[in-house]
Order: sequence, then C-alpha cells, then structure tokens
Amino acid sequence: MAEGGGWQPPRPCEAYRAEWELCSSAGHFLRHYYVHGERPACVQWRRDLDSCREWEERRSAEAQRSLRESEQARVQAARKHGLVWAPRQSPPADWHLPLPQDNDR
Amino acid sequence: MSHCRRNSARGKVIDPYVKLLLDAMKHSGCAVNKERHFSCEDCNGNVSGGFDASVSQIVLCQNNICNQAHMNRVVTHELIHAFDHCRAHVDWFTNVRHLACSEVRAANLSGDCSLLNEILRLHFGLKQHHQTCVRDRAIRSILAVRNISKEVAQKAVDEVFESCFNDHEPFGRIPHNKTYARYAHRDFQNRDRYYSNI
Repeated sequence: MAEGGGWQPPRPCEAYRAEWELCSSAGHFLRHYYVHGERPACVQWRRDLDSCREWEERRSAEAQRSLRESEQARVQAARKHGLVWAPRQSPPADWHLPLPQDNDR
Repeated sequence: MSHCRRNSARGKVIDPYVKLLLDAMKHSGCAVNKERHFSCEDCNGNVSGGFDASVSQIVLCQNNICNQAHMNRVVTHELIHAFDHCRAHVDWFTNVRHLACSEVRAANLSGDCSLLNEILRLHFGLKQHHQTCVRDRAIRSILAVRNISKEVAQKAVDEVFESCFNDHEPFGRIPHNKTYARYAHRDFQNRDRYYSNI
C-alpha cells in the first residue's frame, strides 16, 4: 500500500480526463500546430488519468509514484527557462497609494 | 457610468482571462481597485490601451476599443503588464529587454495572436505563425512607447524571446481561448492541493 498521511492526486481525476480530452481534440491539434509547428503529445495525460483512477480504486503505490513524477516533470519543464528580471519579495510600494494629485496625463 | 467603465467591469466579472489575472494579482499582494487602477481616456492614434508603471495604472483608450471582446482582450493584455510589475523588478523605462519581455508575454497570453484574430487582420499563416505574430506585435508595442529604432526593438525581442515566450505565468499554459483560460483558472484555484501533493 502507498503512504497514507492524507496524500491525494495533485489534480482531481476529472481534471486529468478533461486535459486528455482537450489535448486529443482536433481544435487543440490545430492550435498547437499554429503555435509550435508540431503535433501535440497527449499520451502522458492519459497515463496520468489511468494512474489517478488506479489510486482512487486501489491506493496503488506505483500510481502515486507515477503521478508525482509526471507532475514534477511538468513543473521542471515550466521552470527551465531563465528569467529576464529579478522577482520581487513584496509588491511595489506605490500600488495601493492614491494617484498623485498633479497627474497630468 | 461610461460605456468604457461598464464594459471593463463586465469583463472583470465574466471573462476567465481577466478573472484569473485579478486573482493572481491579489495573491501577489496587488489587489486591483477599478477606480484606482483603471482609467478610461481618449487616446491619440489607434492605441487601445497602456500600462503606466509610474502610477501603477491601466489606461483604456475608449475611443479605440470596438466591442466587449476587444475590451476583454485589451484589459487582459494590460493586466499582464500590471502582473509583471507586481511580481518582478521590471525596469520599464531604461531596460528595453524588460519591456520587450512583458510585451512578448502580453501578445502571447492575451489572445492578441489567436488564429482567428490574425485571420481577421488578413495575416494568413499556420505553422508556428503564432510566434511570428507575437514577435511582430511585441516590436510594434515597444515602438509605440519608446523612441528607439525598429532594429533595436527587434534585437531586444530576439534576445528575450526564448525565455519570455515560455513564461506562461499566471496561466501555466498559453490560453488559446476561454476554455483554456477556464482550465488555467481552475488550476490556479487548485494550486495549494497541487504543490502539496507532488
């Protein structure tokens, strides 16, 4: 059995199903080709959906491991490109201040 | 209430792109107040809007915005700039690479370069045409606010494109239409569960 401690799949199984269906649609094929010039890869969404259902039905350790690895790979892929600017630790100081009285725009 | 204010308010309530951006900004400490952070004005030329970083305000050019869909897209575009201003030290006025990055992101993520919008502009292209559109519109936006040559603007876009085209925050994906934007908003609302279980 997999670890307990209240772990659940990172997304509801319904979300994996919706992503897989969207990815597999003709409309997404067209939009993905328009952006990237190649066909989309959707098989991982199907694997994740199967793992999610496997977890829901049998609390499979393999399903848990597979889902975690898949989502960690997605997060890594999203972060692999360096940033142009430095992130802030707090919002701009003037964000909530009133507009200057002599705003001449 | 003016037509401009009414339509921008409607977008904030029902458009999934705008709703996600407003939630993300609130989460980053920049809750948006429509009276403080939006201004409806008449503008020169055919500019649709702008983000004034010196006073942290979005300007909507009411004389150049055609309909609700256009309003939603302009609000989304400018909110992406506001989001970048909120989450990062963006040097809007003296670092053209920073400006270029935010313009690439805004063109990429706002729907400016959707297949339909490009066809309506009579720009016909399919394979990777989206990227061509993003580059071109980013350059145009830079030239609208900076007194620099097209070559300098193009060089800046080229230098930052790989990084900024692939920075999809806060959407997590390129929202091709409202369905993608709704999914992105769902993921944003689910982020606590997501990051605590991976």
